[in-house]
Formats: sequence, C-alpha cells, structure tokens
Amino acid sequence: MTIHLSIILFMPLAAGVIGAFLPGRSGRWLVLAATVGVLAYVIVMLADFDRGRAGLQYVTNDRWIPELGIRYQLGVDGLNLFMLALTAISWVPCTLWACFRELDRQRLFLFNLALAETAVMGAFMAQDLALFIVFFDLMLVPFYFLIGGWGTGERVRATTKFVIYTLSGSLLMLAGAVALGVLATPDGGQISFSLAVLQERGVPDGTQNWIVLLFAVAFFVKAPLFPLHGWIPETYRSTPIPVLALLSGVLSKVGVYGFLRIVLPVMPDGSLHWQELFIVIAVFSILYGSVLAFSQDNVRMVVAYSSIAQLGFITLGIFAFEQKGAQGAVLQMLNHGLVVVPLFLIIGAIAARARGSESVLELGGMAFRAPVLAALFLLATFATLAMPGSSNFVGEILILFGTFEDKLVYGLVASVGVILAAVYMIRVFQRTMHNRVGPAVESHDLGGLDLATIAPLVALIVALGVYPQFVVSRTDAATTAKIQPARQAAAAGQTAARAEAP
Amino acid sequence: MSATDYGWLILAFPVAGLLVISLGWRVLPGRLPGWIASAMIGLSFLAGIGAFVQIQDLPSDERAVVASAFTYASTGDFKVDLSILVDPLSVFMCLVVSGVSFLIHVYSVAYMTSDRGYSRYFAYLNYFVFSMLLLVLAANFVILIIGWAFVGAASYLLISFWYRRGTATHAGIKAFVMNVIGDVGLVIAAFLLLDKTGSLDYSGVFGAVDHAFSRNDTTLVIACLLILVGAFAKSAQLPLHTWLPDAMEGPTPVSALIHAATMVTAGVYLIARMYPLFEQAPTAADISAIIGTATLVFAATVALVVTDLKRVIAYSTISQIGYMVLGVSVAAYGAGLFHLMTHAFFKALLFMGAGSVISAMGGVQDLDRMGGFRKSMPFTFVAFLVGACALAGLPLFSGWFSKDEVLAFTLNRGGGYVVLGIFGYLGALLTAFYAFRMVFRVFFGDPVPEARELEGGHIAHHDPANPMSGESEDVDVGFPGEEHHIAERDWPMKVAMGVLAVLAVIGGYLQVPGVDDAVSKFLDPTFESSRFIDDAPSTAAQWVGLAMGGVVAITGVTVAFVAYRRRRGVTLELRDRFPRLHNFLLHKWYFDELYDAVFVRPAATLGKIGRTVVEADFVQGTIVGGATRIVGAGTSFARAIQTGYVRAYALLLLLGVGGLALYFLIASS
Repeated sequence: MTIHLSIILFMPLAAGVIGAFLPGRSGRWLVLAATVGVLAYVIVMLADFDRGRAGLQYVTNDRWIPELGIRYQLGVDGLNLFMLALTAISWVPCTLWACFRELDRQRLFLFNLALAETAVMGAFMAQDLALFIVFFDLMLVPFYFLIGGWGTGERVRATTKFVIYTLSGSLLMLAGAVALGVLATPDGGQISFSLAVLQERGVPDGTQNWIVLLFAVAFFVKAPLFPLHGWIPETYRSTPIPVLALLSGVLSKVGVYGFLRIVLPVMPDGSLHWQELFIVIAVFSILYGSVLAFSQDNVRMVVAYSSIAQLGFITLGIFAFEQKGAQGAVLQMLNHGLVVVPLFLIIGAIAARARGSESVLELGGMAFRAPVLAALFLLATFATLAMPGSSNFVGEILILFGTFEDKLVYGLVASVGVILAAVYMIRVFQRTMHNRVGPAVESHDLGGLDLATIAPLVALIVALGVYPQFVVSRTDAATTAKIQPARQAAAAGQTAARAEAP
Repeated sequence: MSATDYGWLILAFPVAGLLVISLGWRVLPGRLPGWIASAMIGLSFLAGIGAFVQIQDLPSDERAVVASAFTYASTGDFKVDLSILVDPLSVFMCLVVSGVSFLIHVYSVAYMTSDRGYSRYFAYLNYFVFSMLLLVLAANFVILIIGWAFVGAASYLLISFWYRRGTATHAGIKAFVMNVIGDVGLVIAAFLLLDKTGSLDYSGVFGAVDHAFSRNDTTLVIACLLILVGAFAKSAQLPLHTWLPDAMEGPTPVSALIHAATMVTAGVYLIARMYPLFEQAPTAADISAIIGTATLVFAATVALVVTDLKRVIAYSTISQIGYMVLGVSVAAYGAGLFHLMTHAFFKALLFMGAGSVISAMGGVQDLDRMGGFRKSMPFTFVAFLVGACALAGLPLFSGWFSKDEVLAFTLNRGGGYVVLGIFGYLGALLTAFYAFRMVFRVFFGDPVPEARELEGGHIAHHDPANPMSGESEDVDVGFPGEEHHIAERDWPMKVAMGVLAVLAVIGGYLQVPGVDDAVSKFLDPTFESSRFIDDAPSTAAQWVGLAMGGVVAITGVTVAFVAYRRRRGVTLELRDRFPRLHNFLLHKWYFDELYDAVFVRPAATLGKIGRTVVEADFVQGTIVGGATRIVGAGTSFARAIQTGYVRAYALLLLLGVGGLALYFLIASS
C-alpha cells in the first residue's frame, strides 16, 4: 500500500488555513476532522508498516533548493514511526479541548495548533538535515503565539525566555548543520544535507566534536535537561493546558529524537567523544528533576520537573550506546508522551475544580466526588512512576539494563531516580485526590468532554502495558541500525586503548 | 485441561471480578459486589485444585510446566514472555493464597457492609489477589517483578483505603516507597543474573547457575543480597520493617489478608523459589538466616509492650515471618512453607477476631481500654483463643507442628545454626507470652462499658475519631463506618472465622513428622535438586524439637497467666523498675526516628537546597541571569533603534548566523 507522507504532513495546516476563513463554527469542525484524519491515516500506516525492515519506508524524495543541495526528503522507519503516532494521537484530544472550550479568538488558536502539528510532523519525518531544521524552527512560531496570546500570568516574560532559549539553541544547530554540510562535501562534490549522504561522507573526528556540541545544546534546551532548563518554570506556569500537554509530551521528544536520527549515525566519533559528559548530564538531570519535583507545591511544576528526570532517562539510554538502552529510550519517548498528555489534561480538570488553584496546599480530597477522575489519575500516576506492568517500566528497565552493561555506576545512581519518582508522583496523587477536602476544592466528576479527551489516552497506556512488544517489535531493527556506528566507534576506541596498554 | 490451563484460569477469575466490579460500580446493588468478588476468588481456588490434581498425575520429575501466552518484550538478549510456571511450589502458594483470600472476602462482605467505598474495596481486593497469584505463578523475573509491584500497589491502595485520614495516607506512602525500594533491588538482581546466565527465565537462570558462578561468587552473592532487599522490603524484615505496623491503618480484613496471610509472606516464597541461587551462595543464605532470627526476636520484644491490639498482631506477623525466613534460609523449605500456610490460617483468624472486637469497641484499638469480652462475644472469644494457641505453639495446634519443625531443622544443621535455633526458642517463649497477653487483656477481667452494653444487646458508638491521631473523622468516607459489624451477628463473618479456626487446629496434621509429612512430600519435586534434600533431621530429632517447643510454649503461656491473671501488678512493677527498657521497646527500638534523621530529613533539606540555591541562584541567577545580561546588552542597542527587543535579538542572531553560513558557503566553493 502506498502511504503519502506529504498528506499527513500538510493536512492539518491546510485545514487550519481554510478553517481560519470559514464562517461560524464550521472552521473548528474542519480542523478537528483533519487531526482525526491524520490519526486515522497514521493508524493505517502502523498496520501497513513492515516491522522487520531497518531502512526507511514510504520515502518521498524531491528536489527543493538544488543550489544548496536541500531536498524535500521524508521517510518513516522504526525510529519515528511511533513519534508520528504520538503526535497524531496527542493532537486529537488537545484540539478537541480547544474546539469546545470558551476561547478568545478560537479560530486563530486552532490555526496555530494545526500549524504546530504540521511542523512537528515535519521535524519527525524529515530525512534531510536542512528540512529538519526548517521544521524544527517552524515549531517555535505557533507555540510563541499560543503562549503569548493565550497564556496566563507573566506570559510576556515567559514567551521571551522560551523564545530566547529555543532560538539560541536552534541557531547554534543551524551553524552546526551548515558546517556539517560544507565540511562533509568532498572536493568538487555537490553539497548535500541528506542524512543518508552525510552519514556516508562523514567528517573528520576533531570537527565532529564541536559540531556535536552545537547540536547537543539545541536538543538539551528542547528536552530540556539540566542546566539548560531555565525556561521551564515560567513557560510551564503560563502556558495554557492543552498547549503545555503538547509542549511537554511531544515537542520535548524532538530533541532526543534528533540525537538518534542525526547525531549518533552521522557523527559517531563526536558522540563518543562527549559520551561521558552527556551521561553525567543525563544522570544529574534525573536526580535534579526528581528532587525538585519532590519539593514543588504546584502540581503542574511537579510534572514539569518530573519531565526533566524522564528526559534524563531517555538521554541516558541513548548515550549508553547499547542496544537495550537505545531501544528503551525509543520506547520511553512514546511512553512519556502518552502519560504526560493525559496528566496535564487531568491537571486542567483538577484546577477547574479548585477555582483555578494548582497548589497541593489548597487541594485534596477530590476522589470522593470525582471517582472517575481519581481512577484515571491513579492509572496515569502509576504509569508515570514506571510501575512494573506499565510500558514505562519496560522502557525504564531496558534503559537501566543497557546502562548497567558498560556504565554500571551511572546506572545505579539513575536507579535512585526510580525510587524518587515513586515518592513525588504518589505524593501529588495523594495530596490532590486523598486527604481532607482542600480549601479551594469544589469537586464533581468528569464531564463528557474531559472524559473524551482523557479516558482514551489512559486506555492506551493500559493496553501498551499489557503488550509493549507491539512497539518494540516495530522499533527494534531501526534502533539497532541507528546506534551501530556509535557502537563501532566505541568498540574501536576500546580496541585502540587495549593495544596501547602494555 | 492441562495444569497450565488451570493456571491461566486461576489468574483469569480475579481479573474478571476486578473488571466487573470496577466498571459496574454504579449499578451493582447492596452486597452484590462483595459476593461477586468472593465468587471469583472461590472459582480461582477451585481452579487451583484443578491444577493440583493435574500436577499430581504427572511423573514426579516432570511436575514443572511452563506456558507462555505471548512475547511481552523482546530485544537483544532481553527476552521476556508472559509466561507462567505451574509446579508444586506455585500450586501450593496458589491454594493457600486463594483459599485464605476467599474466606477473607466472605468475611469482608459483612464487615464492610456499611462502608461507602464498598465496590472500590472489593475491586482493590480482587486486584490484590490477581497480583499475588501472578507473583507466585510467574515463570520469569520480569513477570515476577510485575506481580511483585502490583501487590505493592494494591497494598498501598488498601492501606490508604480510608483516604480522608491523614494517618492512613501517610502510612500508604511509606509502604509504597519501601516496596519500590524492594522492586529496584529485584531489578538490579535480575540484570546481574541476565548478564551472567543470559536468561531471565527461571529455568534458564537456575539451569545455568552452577556453571556460570563458582560457589560464593561475589556477583552471585550480591545478586542474592539484592533479592533479599526485595524479599525483606515486602516481608517487613529488619531493617525494612517499619511500614508494616503503620499499614494497620487499613481496614482490618485487609490487615488479615495482605499484611498477615499473603503478601508479606511473598519474601519467603521468593527465597524458596530462588533456592538454587542461595545454595550456590551460602553466604547470602546465612545472612538471610541471621536477619530472620534477629527480626523474630526484635519483633517479639516489641509485641510485648505495644498496646494497640492490631499493632501487637502486626509485630507478631513480623516475628513469625522471621521464622519462615529462617526456615527457607537453612534449607528447611518444606517446614518454612508449611509454617507460611499455618500462619496464614491462625494469623488471619486473629485479625478477624480483633476486627470483631474493634467493631464492638466502636473503633477503639487500645488494649488498655479493653477487657472482659469473654461473655459478650463468646464466638469471637473461642476463635481468637484458638488462634492464640496456634500462634503460641501449644502442642497439637497447627503452629506447634510448623514452627518447631523449622527450629528442629535449624538445630540439625549444627555449628553456628544452633545459636540461631536457641534464639528461635527464645522468640517462641516471648510469642507464647504476648499471644496470651492479648487473650487475657481483651477477653478476661472486668467487662469494660462496651462489653457490658453488648451483653445488653447493643453495640457502643463512640464519636467517630481516628484512634491514632485523635482527630475527628470525616464522615464522607474515611473511617470504618458508623454501623459496626461483629462476628456474633453476621453469619459471613462467623463462617469465615469458623472455617479458619478449624484449619488453625487441624492444619498441623498435614505434616506430622514420621506420620504423613504431606506438605514436604508434595513440595519435594520442586526442591529435588537441593543439596540438602537428604539432610532432613530424623523423625526422632523432629519430635525432640517439637517437644522442646511445646515445653517453651507452655512456659510462656503460664508466665502470661501469672502476670495477667494471678499477680496483676507485676507487669506495671516491671515497667516502673526498667523505664528505659520499656521506653526503648515502646519506641520500637527507635527505627522510625533513625530513618527520619538519616533519610527523610536530609532528603527534604536537599530538595530545599535544590529549590532555593541551585534553581534560584545558579540556574535562574547565573545562567539565566547571564543570558539576560548578554541579551540586555544587545537590546540596549536594539532599543536605540526602536524595535521590539525579542524581534531585534532574533534578527541579530539570524544576521550573525547567516553571515557564518555565508562564510562557509563561500569557503567551500
């Protein structure tokens, strides 16, 4: 069966543009229909996907800017298959949320959401470095307007910080990408940004080192990891809930995905050079995020800092340069998105029952009048803390096993993060749902819209917990292939070290 | 149907119950959820009997059948199926777990009647039973860990079942976190085993252990110690025991089921299951035996002085599990698991009796305020007395056969194990004493007002108050309910207690040394490759052990009789003469205080430092501040040319990078 990735890519944007000009309510139906259509198409693609193949499928490869060697090149393999699925899945409830809430300038909001979906899809599909960067930066635009236009509190300061951080990151990456393309071009050859070509050509070791660093800054900011997470507190506080769900659930994955798609295969020696540093950053982020999540009173911020810890785990798995670790990281990228989106929607529901308050000091005792909310929250909580039986556990255990293999000590330190996750997540669940009724609480159970946005996601979490192999069997081949260059570099390094030793 | 088909059925019934009750909570009327839940566990028990029959039909060296449903997760050498192992050990555990669970479900049908979380309670309870059965049926480490964590989660949910109580939710968190620590121990152990043996299946690991590891190999010892972390966290052994007494915040049937009869004995099952590892790493087994012994003595001393009825039984549970751990660590597998079974009977019975008394007291649990319930609650009295006799190990009761067999095996190992055995008898003496301390203080003496009122036909009602904190209860949910249910009046409670009382008496006759030895004989195929299979003490030696145990138990009961019935002031005198010792015991050897000082407070401080110093000063101050200052410099220029400063900044950067790009392009051509 032929799947046209361009349809997936541009369907939301087209609907967003047309919807913005349609009169009355029909516009929002169009945008909603487009996100559902994308989801349906992605499900068809999941069914059709050849799980044994490591290489790209459904490739689109056209000339775009031949003078600069930039091609319109899209493709799907095990690495981004579930990232596309995650994007398609997450956008549906968030669009639904935006369609049926009282919103200022609703059409504009929906247009921005649609544009954002196209941008994220593009970043995940792109197989040309320049195209990736175009979409990577395009993501910034709708989110800038969404946070600036519909945010709460100090939204100007928040957007400023958000933009400065991400823009600095992406401009550094742009510089790195240009350097990579130019330096990889052999004498007399035609410049190309195609990832496959870049991987084949390669650049010298020393050059790789600093280019990797430029990419890493951009990806660490996006993830975010310590110490580049400074934009997190204000941005997370101001961002409207559905936008935040997407920002934390989906956008954060683009960064770590970039490591697997671009950095490791194209610059294996440079990746190896910084392996130790990146692992330290990852492990530190796990501990730091966990400890801060534990000491927050604002529910939203607990999830925010827990994301830093989770992204730390994912980065750790990637830079362990081991098959289980990378596989765990890919699985965990999906898992984290799938739990964070419903978690933020649940937080929105909680705040709606507490006069907008999100502080655990004012919350509590909601479960009695909102048992369904409590049950859904409980399942999401258990999955977030990676309870065995959830798919998140499989992801985390693979990451840990992969890390133990060569980097036992880092793995053991990271295990502490598992325990801390149990503490802060259960604490948040308990202090909102259990204990005495908080001063701000006027609890009632979930309405139809909340249920329609949250329950399917939670059902999906449960289903993946029962059968995680559904994901693993499809991602395995591609993931193994992507980390192969880095593994070889690491093995070569060890052999060289052994040869030098007396 | 084959044995494994029955194995899947054992798991399927509780899941079905969970789904029906949790999806139908709005429509199921009255006691129906309770009866559905009970029926499902009953069916699960019947399926267990089916598995038992099937497995007995197999030749004794083929009594371990594995069945796999589907691939759970597989990448590289990490290959995990959703698979179950049906062998004598898992069938034995399934029967004990589902059997006792069934009775406790029936008891709960009545006990929880007036609770507003009735459906939720039974959904949790069925979830728990499913998890426990998954734990014992697992055929590989990952499924084991899943069951292991699920029982922890179920335990958390049931401890904080009355979730408006601050004490209950706090106890829930404590239990949950301790359990997660145990889970992490198991995960790391599983990695070490996978790394050396290349497998996560029991069969693969146990088959490879003898050539993958030399005897007492360091890695193997570490793996075994990590397994012990998991086992001890779950089984509340030193030093990971502090959560169990607090877990008594849950409804009393939960204490009976999870925190006495089944979940807390999972550690014992685990050590028995992992016996090929522990026999190859005897150092770890010895450490386990020593900790088991230390725990049994420690907990028994605390049980002497605690005045909260449920907490006395909780410490008793910790102590009794110490015996089981000692048993399976000295290769007395049959005896240790036999004690697990008899303990499940009599301890569940004691908790049920206590629940009945506490209901009659209107929620009060303090021994100091109880007394004289013998006449007003004759049925509860008899049942409790039977439980206490079995716990004390009085001859001919079930606890006598099982506990003293463990000690006989321990003595038989000779050498340093004799010391452990002697401590075991010391513990037995204390056990007999505190068991009858409860009996005498609750049922004898002058009837308290509540007991008198009950004799007159009604049950006392106190103001609903949390007995632990004295706070008044939130009556929405969050306290045991205004209607009190006692065994005397509710037939399901009576039936459950009656059956358990009979089992607490006759359960011991399953394994009379030299006569039937039914439990050991049934379990033998599982342990046939044990090095100690032929080292069992002779029948005569076992009877000597039993006789000594009997003398010790009678002595303990006599001392309790003298102290609480004949010379009543003597305990108070002792308390006044040794105030420090009494305080030391009353504070449970200061473990909670120690952990608070060593872990809890430093962690909180660390969080505070993280939030104030690192986050505020370093990240926001230095990094963000530094960035802002750089931006500030740029924007003052930008402001001069009157543009919005974000845009200007972006523009400047774009120009800069554009220039850089241009440079490279020119340089390359």
